[in-house]
Amino acid sequence: MDAQLLITLTKVLLVIILVLVAFNLSMVFKIKSIDPFKNWNATKINAALLMVFMVLGFIFASWSSVKWAPTFTLVTDPASEHGVPLDAMFWRTMVVCILVTIITNFLLFYFSWKYQERPGQKAHFYPHNNKLELIWTLVPAVVMTLLIADGVKNWHSIMAPDDEIKENALDVEFYARQFDWTIRYGGADQELGQTHIKYIDNATANQLGFNYDDPRTHDDIVVTEVHLPVNVPVHMHIKSQDVLHSATLAHFRVKMDAVPGMPTNFWFTPTETTAARRERLGNPDFNYELSCQQICGSSHWNMRRVVVVETEEEFQAWLASQKPSYQAYKEKFENKNTPSEPAPVEAPAEEAEPANASAEDGDDRATVSTR
Amino acid sequence: MAESTSHVQDGSSTFHADLHAAHGSGHDHHHEQGFLAKYVFSQDHKVIAKQFLFTGMLSAVVGIGLSMLFRLQLAFPDTPFPILESLLGRWAPDGVIDPSFYLALVTMHGTLMVFFVLTAGLSGTFSNYLIPLQVGARDMASGFLNMLSYWAFFLSTVIMFASFFVESGPASGGWTIYPPLSALPQAMSGSGMGMTLWLTSMVFFIASGLLGGINYITTVINLRTKGMTLERLPLNIWAFFLTAILVILSFPVLLAAALLLFLDRSLGTSFYLSDIYIGGEVLHHAGGSPVLFQHLFWFLGHPEVYIVLLPALGIASEVISVNSRKPIFGYKAMVGSMIAIAVLSFIVWAHHMFVTGMNPFLGTVFMLFTLIIAVPSAIKAFNYITTLWRGNLRLTPAMLFAIGLVSFFITGGITGIILGNAALDIPMHDTYFVTAHFHLVMGSASAFGLFAGVYHWFPKMFGKMMNPRLGYIHFWFTFIGLYLVFFPQHFQGLGGVARHYYQFTAFDFMKQFVDLSKYITYAAWIGGAAQLIFFFNFFNSLFWGKKAPQNPWKANTLEWTTPINPGHGNWPGEIPTVYRWPYDYSKPGLEDDYAPQHIPDEDLRYEPGQAPPKPTPAPRREETPSETEGSDNF
Repeated sequence: MDAQLLITLTKVLLVIILVLVAFNLSMVFKIKSIDPFKNWNATKINAALLMVFMVLGFIFASWSSVKWAPTFTLVTDPASEHGVPLDAMFWRTMVVCILVTIITNFLLFYFSWKYQERPGQKAHFYPHNNKLELIWTLVPAVVMTLLIADGVKNWHSIMAPDDEIKENALDVEFYARQFDWTIRYGGADQELGQTHIKYIDNATANQLGFNYDDPRTHDDIVVTEVHLPVNVPVHMHIKSQDVLHSATLAHFRVKMDAVPGMPTNFWFTPTETTAARRERLGNPDFNYELSCQQICGSSHWNMRRVVVVETEEEFQAWLASQKPSYQAYKEKFENKNTPSEPAPVEAPAEEAEPANASAEDGDDRATVSTR
Repeated sequence: MAESTSHVQDGSSTFHADLHAAHGSGHDHHHEQGFLAKYVFSQDHKVIAKQFLFTGMLSAVVGIGLSMLFRLQLAFPDTPFPILESLLGRWAPDGVIDPSFYLALVTMHGTLMVFFVLTAGLSGTFSNYLIPLQVGARDMASGFLNMLSYWAFFLSTVIMFASFFVESGPASGGWTIYPPLSALPQAMSGSGMGMTLWLTSMVFFIASGLLGGINYITTVINLRTKGMTLERLPLNIWAFFLTAILVILSFPVLLAAALLLFLDRSLGTSFYLSDIYIGGEVLHHAGGSPVLFQHLFWFLGHPEVYIVLLPALGIASEVISVNSRKPIFGYKAMVGSMIAIAVLSFIVWAHHMFVTGMNPFLGTVFMLFTLIIAVPSAIKAFNYITTLWRGNLRLTPAMLFAIGLVSFFITGGITGIILGNAALDIPMHDTYFVTAHFHLVMGSASAFGLFAGVYHWFPKMFGKMMNPRLGYIHFWFTFIGLYLVFFPQHFQGLGGVARHYYQFTAFDFMKQFVDLSKYITYAAWIGGAAQLIFFFNFFNSLFWGKKAPQNPWKANTLEWTTPINPGHGNWPGEIPTVYRWPYDYSKPGLEDDYAPQHIPDEDLRYEPGQAPPKPTPAPRREETPSETEGSDNF
């Protein structure tokens, strides 16, 4: 018998004894008709407790807010351009929230205590007062109007950014499925080639469903780590192949559902490189992270990708070092010059002829490097 | 109006006669009924209300129990709890909850709490119980439909519980059952048989809601007693009435959504599905839109929030006014705000969908309407507080729960102006900030409405008094417990922790919240365990409680004019006539601090020199003080 078990048993025994004692006492009181709390004034106690609850509640809420504030990833220290005004608006709104919560809760608990039932106290018959009611209709209405104006402005600048941003944005595809993200870049031509689920073929590792008839796919780069250049607008093309997912970049205030059958978009501009942030925070292990925040199945909690924000040069160097997936496809699977529509089905059979593929492969590499 | 009231006056039996001729006459002194007719297939609204209450309580036990189980996983990821294996069997191998069953737990927790406890349990109980008693009717407009309403609900509860026992597990795509996840068994095992049962259960649930809702509306409109004008309805009746309207307008849309989902699942249609590759094959579905489902779902889903909340707010109005010994402040404003909330609730649904790929322009419109709801909500909160001001507050357990409700309504509701703001919703969407928000404003506030109602009307429902001391202890544990559970979830939300996560350990920025999760779990377990006090008090008082006096809270409303244990038909004699609104508490000039609705002005007791202007004052004691003492004792 180990000590742990002994301790647990002792605890259980203690609880049982306590319960029995309490039960015994209550039976004795009942049989002898004794009320040990007869002189306790329930109203006074509860009223006092309401005040104590309020005071301790405010103290505890303030203390814990301050304590946890450094962990508020979503509303402090934004790493994107639109995150700055968004966070500012959040805190403006939060001030309203805090003020309202404190004032109204204070009045609620204070009145509950102050006007507790007392002998001889008569309630004040006060059924309505139009002026008062007008005040607390108009004040919230005005505050809401301001908040709405604020919200509309920010919402539009985030959802429908200026054409200038749209034109200069780097196209990146965030492709979701159960349970991971695949990231695609346009490659040398900076254009995302055509994909469709009907082209998906695991046998040829064509997991995004590239239509290789579309030459724009030939230089597309497929990776599992998000790389973004700093201070360059990013146009997220968000797709899903099975169920709903949500592309969430908490540090960048980005979130948009991935909807099967309906590509969605989000534009944002990262403003701090991973390296710079690591240095500033003094945390060499810091990483921006991509997560899924729309329930999507059993491993929903684990759809993580690291996001690396780097300087433009670093990014270009990294991009250049990546091999377009079409190359790998050709090296391994492609047969002569017939990729064609139902290709995936036949693909496994073509695995036997790598010689031709590698010949074409050379050509293609040349094309990429010249662009 | 005159027509309908006279109909009630002389025809208490006529409106039943056509439905069940056997009961055609003599509602007042009921003839002997068999056990089945009296307690099981009863058409008496009071019995049906209790049936809803007990069934709702059963769902609450399961629903709260589930949450306590999954809280273990959140606080102690990967730690084995032998109890989990013995309770959940193969869903918790070696005492660690399976990730897909974790989702089943949260899904069923949400479903049970939102629909079965806070919709049917709350509305079903109190609308049924109080509407006929407070408007002065012998029963619901149709006792038969009312009975069907309960049994449809019962069936739906049975089916929902049954889904726990199917091989592939219960529905697990979240209580919002978004397709394609909920449509494809390949996507998760819970979307198989479990989802089919979920949808079947909801069909019966919706039928129950509609049958009940039609009854409530008809009864409020047509069966009010003489003198009971709309301006004299207690505020909780207004709340039940508006809730019933929301139910019959919004639930059919959920039925439509569920039906289309059923077709997609079973008959291969493509309402919600398009371009899907799953399980190694391309599905044939094309052209559907998952966003369509969300529109349909939230067209119910948002009014549903108010279906849950309005009855609780109504109960709070009544309880606060009675126990403050003051009229509710701004009766008309209260009614107006509730109507405004009810109307607005139909045009804000897409604020759940700002970042689902919906056209951003729509987001603007829905943000506008959503934030407007803050105005009537603020009016209500301020009016509650002003009702307390200069009152003479009796802090009964019901009153404490009502005060707690207002606190939750404020603290939880205010963050709605953050989440309702489309731009701010981008980071906050589907984080614990949302969880904190709606668990406080919709979950906790409504649960407190339910508790306030039970403590307040228990003497009427069962003829016994609940033990107030246990009530206080229950209140304090629950109140503190709920705040400790849900307030810190704001922090987790602001930290970016996502909802529906099996554990927070995969992400650097979420990891740090495992510790906080532990405290939340402790609070949840203590708060959950404290509900045992309530159940003990409930059943102990039910059987061995002190006998209730006629009007324990000295309230004005009509239900306290019935016998202590009213029979089918509610009043043995004539239905009382109503002479004033229900909130004449502490009216200057009156000797008593209340003026029941059914006593004419000339029969009230006046202070010396405050005699009423015209008729001869013929003071009649309607109650002896000794009868009403119960409430004052600790």
